Amino acid sequence: MTAVNSLIAVIGTLLVALIVSVWLPGIERKFVHARIQQRVGPPISSAGIMAPLKFFFKQTINPNSPMPKLYNALPLISLLSVIFILLFLMPQLYALAALTSIIAIVGLLKIEEVIYMFMGSLSKSIMSLKMPFPDIVKGAKHPNTTRTFMEELSSLRAFRLIAFGSFPLYIALFIPVALSKSIYLSGIVNYQQIHGPILFTMAGVLGAIVFFIGYMILLNEYPFVILKTKADVIEGPLMEYAAKYRAYVYITRGFLMFVLASLFTTLFLGIPPNLFSWNILVTIAVALIFPILMAIMSAFSPIFTNKQFYPVVAGVSIIGILALVVSFL
Amino acid sequence: MNENNKITEKNVIETEVAMGPVHSAAIEPYRVRLFVEDEMVKDAEITVGINHRGIERIMEGLPVEKANSLTEKICGICSNSHIWNSVLVAEKAIGIDVPERAQYIRVIMEELERLHSHLLYLAHGNEVLGHETFAMRIFYIRETVMELLRMIGGNRVQYGASIIGGVRPRCELDAMRIQKISEGMDIIEEKILDFADRFVSDPMIMSRITGVGVLTRKQAIELAASGPTLRSTGVETDLRTEMEAYEPFEFNVITQDDGDVKSNLLMRVLEIPEAINIIRQAIKHLPDGKITNRSWDMQDAPITKSYIEVPRGKLYHSYALEDGRVRNSIVRTPSIANIGAMQYAAVGHHITDAQLAIVQCDPCFTCTDRAIQIIKI
Amino acid sequence: MSLKSYSRARAVHIMLVYTGGCNGCDIEIVNCVLSPKYDAEQYKVFLTWNPREADVLVVTGPVTKHNEKPLREIYDAIPEPKAVIAAGACALMGGVYKNIHGDIPSEEIMGPVDNIIPVDAKVPGCAVRPEDVLSGVVSALPLLLDAK
Repeated sequence: MTAVNSLIAVIGTLLVALIVSVWLPGIERKFVHARIQQRVGPPISSAGIMAPLKFFFKQTINPNSPMPKLYNALPLISLLSVIFILLFLMPQLYALAALTSIIAIVGLLKIEEVIYMFMGSLSKSIMSLKMPFPDIVKGAKHPNTTRTFMEELSSLRAFRLIAFGSFPLYIALFIPVALSKSIYLSGIVNYQQIHGPILFTMAGVLGAIVFFIGYMILLNEYPFVILKTKADVIEGPLMEYAAKYRAYVYITRGFLMFVLASLFTTLFLGIPPNLFSWNILVTIAVALIFPILMAIMSAFSPIFTNKQFYPVVAGVSIIGILALVVSFL
Repeated sequence: MNENNKITEKNVIETEVAMGPVHSAAIEPYRVRLFVEDEMVKDAEITVGINHRGIERIMEGLPVEKANSLTEKICGICSNSHIWNSVLVAEKAIGIDVPERAQYIRVIMEELERLHSHLLYLAHGNEVLGHETFAMRIFYIRETVMELLRMIGGNRVQYGASIIGGVRPRCELDAMRIQKISEGMDIIEEKILDFADRFVSDPMIMSRITGVGVLTRKQAIELAASGPTLRSTGVETDLRTEMEAYEPFEFNVITQDDGDVKSNLLMRVLEIPEAINIIRQAIKHLPDGKITNRSWDMQDAPITKSYIEVPRGKLYHSYALEDGRVRNSIVRTPSIANIGAMQYAAVGHHITDAQLAIVQCDPCFTCTDRAIQIIKI
Repeated sequence: MSLKSYSRARAVHIMLVYTGGCNGCDIEIVNCVLSPKYDAEQYKVFLTWNPREADVLVVTGPVTKHNEKPLREIYDAIPEPKAVIAAGACALMGGVYKNIHGDIPSEEIMGPVDNIIPVDAKVPGCAVRPEDVLSGVVSALPLLLDAK
């Protein structure tokens, strides 16, 4: 009986996550961006629900890519890794021990980032080098260069993001570990049920700020959007996705927003996502508050190039390390 | 850094990223090849000529009135400047006196156009910066100007105000229109000052635009930059101070010192109140009388030249008249002078900044593509 | 209304290709998407710069020689169902530029857009008004909704 109950809880939580997450992009667009920009804005169902649905009904094309099948599989891998994070956060699965540790979650988040690199190097869009234009003609500058696609630029940028752009998020993930002296989620949740949520400690507050910045960087929202900025790489790694694969990209993004929010509630509030508890409302509330805060930040900021991006990441990482130090004291 | 050695001397640069003719940063069709090493731009090549339509060729042999209205189609942003300058050539060649009221109305139209062009520049600049909110706010301000232009000229983009000898009867300013213009000016001034405050006090934007796309004064003069691009490096040059139509008005020539994106954006922000000032003077002292001088006879004339200051710099038109028809028409637009500056300013920055450095020179490639030989593909 | 057409009507991605007009139409179209006054997003119309994402291709300008191939390639890159809107006098019939050489075939202007790719809706005007562009997109919608 308990096994059936757990199964229902797990599937139910996943469904709730999916239902909540599809509204998030629309809420961001309609209630925050459009309000700030003094216009009516799109209906909230458009960006998150109707756009992916529409892409499901479009013709599946062969992307311009050296490995079309792998390229098209990448969004699914990314979606699966996000779903696994959510699964491992659920208390029903804490029996899996090693997989429900913070290390496993870091690993799965890393997949999310690494996939951008693969996407970037596999996408060969019409909008950059393939555009038919007589470039190498008599009198052209530097005729002997290696000519690259724009997406390779974003691949390079994705590599930088992996190298240190994700520092803040991972530092923030280890603050609860340092406080509860356990890398297992069950240990962290238990610690918080005894000692109260980590968020209300000094280290927890600093950690939450660092987590939020890391959240924005991982989601590639303005101002940390250099991976797919409109000013040069247009959409970067996602250029060649069409039809249902683009729909997966859309859904993954909404899902990631929800999953990161529930990661936050698990680690900093001690509330794992569980359908059979009223606390799921807290998870949903955080999942709504985070995108709204993020949208407010993004509406008022330009794109950061490396010149601004490095100091911001360094500064936030220092705050994170400070929080770690505070948590050890 | 030795300013003349900014562009690398190396023969083989590692990689090249090409953008255009269809791209999100530059809506207009042009090709830019950026030669990068580790995301830093080492050299840039801008190719124009993609939208060459041969308007001078079409003007050849047309009656001068038709040819004049055709010059409007050179550019949708500074259409009034083109038709004004083209009409000035004919007036100079034949020797037509323009009524004072018509001169004032032409100046009003030109300054309204400067307003909308500068606001468009600011909006596009913010769009390339990635700041969608500011871009939208600027577009919202710009809508006021567009409405005024539609009211006066009857069209939002090409209004065709000037004709030989004056302005079109449609563009006569009555009391109601003057009232609307002055109300519009109040709104724009209030909003643009508010915007300027927010813009300058935003640390994120300032760190993005300060020191990017620097053009020194010496370099700008060497590259023959024109208009606001040259003024932003500290050179006080503005043809409006020498133009006959602007004699009755008092205005300051705005200059900035740094020649980077920040001074270019601030240039435009500060020129907007100056343009509003001119419009206010013009509607306050608008003389009475006719708006068109119709008592002139067509006569043949040799090639006559005319230079005027338009939102982007110096605009040159010239043609000869033969039996009331246009011969040997030449148009030189300010953006072609600024291409060198764009290529130069883009070098030495991150790629995302390079696009910004190109946009800082206010490119208008539709204007630019004039007498450029098309290479057959 | 089936779910297919319902979702298609609720999210329309337009892409703008500018093939060498005078900038006027082009700015008015961007204006109609970006300006809060017209705000195309309230009619569920989103601007994109990626042909793989787009449903509706808005083409302005008389298609100069250098723009012919890019336009065709971008059109081919858009997955079905798709619609093309030609906006402005130049895109409809070549505008003032088409007649450049009189009766001699022009080597510079390859347009109007009809000659290059099939056009589904035509928006007249020199320059087009933002309202007209929106109504053009709306008039091309049935084509998208009824497609397979």
